[in-house]
Amino acid sequence: MSGETVRCHPSVIVEKSLPILAVLAALVVQFEKSGVLPALAVLAIGLLLFNYRQWSRTTIRFNETDVVVERDTLFKLKKTLPYAKIASVNVNRGIANRLFGTSRLQININSGSSAMVPEAVLTFKQDMAEEIRAAIAERLSESEAAQEEDAAAEPLATFSPADVVVHGLFSVSTYQTLFGSVFLVYSLLQLYSSAGLAADGRALASLVFFFIVQLGPSVSLIFRYYNYKVYRRGKTIFLQHGLIRTYKTSFDVSRVNAVRVKSTLAARLLHRSWIEVEVVGLSSGGGESLRPVLCLLKDDATQQRLLRELVPEFVYDRSPERQPAGARRMLLIRAATFSLALALAMAYPSLRVYHEAADLAGTAGAVLPWVLPLATLLGALAIFYATHVSCRITEFDTGKDLFAFVNGAVDRETVVMNYDKVQMVRITRGPVAGLFGVARAEVDLLSSTGGASISSGYFSESRLGAIGETVMERIASGEYDWRKNSV
Amino acid sequence: MSSPCPANGSSTADVGYRRLNKKCVLSMYIGHAISYAVLLAGYLLVGLYAQGFLGPYYDPVRYAFLAVLAIVLVYIAAAPPVYYARYRYRIAEDRIDVRYGVLVIRHILVPIERVHQVEVSRGPANSVLGLADVTITTAGGVAALNYLEIAEAEKVADLLNDLIGRLLRDRRPADSPSSRVS
Repeated sequence: MSGETVRCHPSVIVEKSLPILAVLAALVVQFEKSGVLPALAVLAIGLLLFNYRQWSRTTIRFNETDVVVERDTLFKLKKTLPYAKIASVNVNRGIANRLFGTSRLQININSGSSAMVPEAVLTFKQDMAEEIRAAIAERLSESEAAQEEDAAAEPLATFSPADVVVHGLFSVSTYQTLFGSVFLVYSLLQLYSSAGLAADGRALASLVFFFIVQLGPSVSLIFRYYNYKVYRRGKTIFLQHGLIRTYKTSFDVSRVNAVRVKSTLAARLLHRSWIEVEVVGLSSGGGESLRPVLCLLKDDATQQRLLRELVPEFVYDRSPERQPAGARRMLLIRAATFSLALALAMAYPSLRVYHEAADLAGTAGAVLPWVLPLATLLGALAIFYATHVSCRITEFDTGKDLFAFVNGAVDRETVVMNYDKVQMVRITRGPVAGLFGVARAEVDLLSSTGGASISSGYFSESRLGAIGETVMERIASGEYDWRKNSV
Repeated sequence: MSSPCPANGSSTADVGYRRLNKKCVLSMYIGHAISYAVLLAGYLLVGLYAQGFLGPYYDPVRYAFLAVLAIVLVYIAAAPPVYYARYRYRIAEDRIDVRYGVLVIRHILVPIERVHQVEVSRGPANSVLGLADVTITTAGGVAALNYLEIAEAEKVADLLNDLIGRLLRDRRPADSPSSRVS
């Protein structure tokens, strides 16, 4: 922070060139004997020279009040990031970083428009990156202990590798799990029926879909949250996790806009739930899920304890209200309409399959004609059951500083929001909802992915209107402190 | 000019709200006609080229497409006057309030405090009719006031910029150099 000018670690040249070099290498293999090889070699050398020039002419200066990133190439750039505007500074390490002993320092400011991409991504030697991160974090949190955070950190709960695996397996949405299971079962049936013979491509394709839909996301979650630690120091929350790519994330609790307590169907059967938060300025630019997890899938008691200890600002005595009778009628009409639409859409295919399969002999002839009508009936029943469950669990409640929506027939979610973080309120009333005097609210918040829109169930319009009115009252009365909340 | 909501027939909740100019109906018809032409072209393409691809489903798909075309035609004929009749907006000292919708009625509330950016834009059809849209961007989402007259849109944008500017001036520390300018 002395104002000294530094450069990124030179490994950044290789790191930036690697993806394109890999493509060029693939082209070299493809056009081995043709005359394009010299052109590809020139391209590769040109790319390395370009990235070298970018690296050598990019400097970073950590001043007393800001960080200045300056690039003196054809496309000149001077980016000034005042410490006062920085929302978070995080470190993560990928495979290339591990090979070169470096870390990637990501600086995010509080801007909604650029929330998807960090304002600066700088690669330094690992210890230097940690030093810079600690120094900036100290300025952000104004905490004397920030520099010793890692050594003195006492995690609030222990997450064993088994917890990580359970989180990976059961925090994937139920619909995704169902689709994945269908693909897996189909693939196993195909393999079984072709036992002793060469299995056709359908079994393999189905297995690939199972990997893409279910196993892939689960494994990715396990890798991401391996060795998970969470703790809070003063007003700052620290997260640390990762197996191949490691993540060290910290953010001020005032940057949390909403807290989501989530559980899938399988998680509820295990009496477990997890906590995610909507935080401004935590982008990594890697297209990853950016909503930080404050608690992996843990038993409900641990989850509640962590919620109280990590974000007590989002805990209040709730007095939830259920949807009114009008909402129930409206939802039943909607379920009936969807079921009718499903029946109409399935009528023609069902008749065709019925006529074509009726001529088949044996079990196939007896079963196949009824498969589609039965599936349609099950679909309609599922729609009505989901409606019934949704009526039972959907809640809304308003407190003094916070309000909450509970939604989800299958995968459940309780979202607690702060009035002062609400950017916009939309109340929507469809033609059927209007007949029963109910409407839905959509609350727009700033999130780590730009903006998040959170929807309520069906409640009376005046009741939902209270959200917007409370937001306005808090601004008018001065309860809303723009210093803490402006972005 | 966009007119304040008429006293006759308006509810007490409508007080202070403004309505759109009637030219918005024509603008909507033009926009909808263009969208409908695209849909019609899609239908013609399906009719001419999709028989081999769709096989036995060709006729059901064509009839379904025709049904969609008929429903859309009824909607685009009826929607603009309803949209015009329902559209209300109000810009107060502290908030922007918009109520609109044809089948689904929406009520949008944007606190002025949250506004980051105000933009006036107009497409070719709106330019010919002398209309413009005002897009209001907050950190978490976007709201729009559509089909305002150009002068009214500019006035709304100026008013919003003025309100935001006043808010920021009020927040400036008393001893900052710019706040000492008389």
